[in-house]
Amino acid sequence: MIVNAELFVKDLPGQLVGSIEPISLVDGNIMGVMHDRERIVNHRICVNITFEVEEQRQLEELMRIWKSKDIIISKIGSVYQTYTMDYLLIGDIDAPYIEGLINKASSIAKLDAVDVRYSSKGKSSRRTGMISVKTRSEEDLDRLDEFLDAECRKSDITYVRGV
Amino acid sequence: MRVFICGFGTVGQGFAEVLARRMDFLEERYGCPILVTGAMDSKTYVLDRNGLDPLDLVATKQRTGRVGEDEYSDSTKVLDQAAYDILVEVSPTDIKTGGAGLRNITHALENRKDVITVNKGPLALKFNELITLARRNKCKFRFEGSVGGAMPIINLCRENLRGEKIESIRGIFNGTCNFILSKMDKGQPFDQVLKEAQQMGYAETDPTNDIEGYDSACKVAILANSVFGRNVTFDDVKITGITGITEEAIALAASRNMVIRLIGEVSETKLEVGPRLVPRGHPLSISGTLNTAQIISDLAGPITVSGRGAGRTETASAILSDLISIMDERTE
Repeated sequence: MIVNAELFVKDLPGQLVGSIEPISLVDGNIMGVMHDRERIVNHRICVNITFEVEEQRQLEELMRIWKSKDIIISKIGSVYQTYTMDYLLIGDIDAPYIEGLINKASSIAKLDAVDVRYSSKGKSSRRTGMISVKTRSEEDLDRLDEFLDAECRKSDITYVRGV
Repeated sequence: MRVFICGFGTVGQGFAEVLARRMDFLEERYGCPILVTGAMDSKTYVLDRNGLDPLDLVATKQRTGRVGEDEYSDSTKVLDQAAYDILVEVSPTDIKTGGAGLRNITHALENRKDVITVNKGPLALKFNELITLARRNKCKFRFEGSVGGAMPIINLCRENLRGEKIESIRGIFNGTCNFILSKMDKGQPFDQVLKEAQQMGYAETDPTNDIEGYDSACKVAILANSVFGRNVTFDDVKITGITGITEEAIALAASRNMVIRLIGEVSETKLEVGPRLVPRGHPLSISGTLNTAQIISDLAGPITVSGRGAGRTETASAILSDLISIMDERTE
């Protein structure tokens, strides 16, 4: 899930780092940090952090650590679950083809994040592309799976999705 | 109890050997001997109402290449001559038409005989017709070994997990493909591993049914019908084989700590066989020739089973468990 938190930390050196470190401690992934020195309340400055954790359990542990460090959580918002899936496409593919496919897919399913990697050129003319996707619903993944499967069958591309 | 063994290749011989090994146990459990009153291979047959020695049958087959001296052209006529209560149908499978196996099973059920089979073709093509016929004639019809060989899956879902709502089953149902893909994990190319699999006896001379996913698709269709109560055939399964998997694809998957495995998936709505990306350490990422299945049910959650998906004694063990279940039901 992706979480946005608004924190107030003491205006002292090391406090900003101290608010970010616990995210790594719970195996979270920091996506963005905004340090708003204009917003000062009771000698505390505002830090807005967006991060990703896999489970509610990690989020609860993180909140416990923040509280133990005297960090005030003023808002926990924009919390939503994300679903990730990896797809391999093997065949006569190139970057423009994959880009076109992702553009078409974006109109069918809401994609929060897309990452594409390619294999180096091998012995055969067949190339492999790996598309890693994050969506906000399983239905989006189902729609994407159906779309990619159909497109690959049309173009004689071997389609492999994650379990 | 009289048994007729139809098909005397690897599995038929394995069953005869297992039966001989468990004869005392069965006699003690049921208070009567299990008599093999007939056996048939692709050309010949042998009948004896007083019972044949299972190990003699195996020895004859291995010595002469034939189980009996008499030849036949219509297997159902042989069945008509035989005195038996249970047909063990283990003849070679035909996934296009169901072949002789379908004829034999149908004939036995029509004649109110109980049937045990591991023959996938008839089950993948005519499951509902056969089940309906068995119910109509009050026959027992069991087929545990048709999916996963020695790995318990059908009876596990239908009997041990009775009361559960099974939401999905995903699994590796073809040991040959799993052998090939797990060797490819180590950098060997597809063609080379396929040759190795053929040399080791894991793959047939014509490996099409395995590598194109047809064998797994048969098993997926059987699970859909027997566990989920669906009415599907082999033709309804969306199939992708493993012939398109390249070394580069395997390497790219490995760079993300994943492997590629041929996975069959069944649920109320899904019916698929295809290569899938599986994280290393996941129950479906196993290597080698083993079969494995992950059952997701509403109360028990995920249950994973694995075991040898083929083999002489292993498949015979599934037939033996079906035989014992039928005997138990008969003696209740």
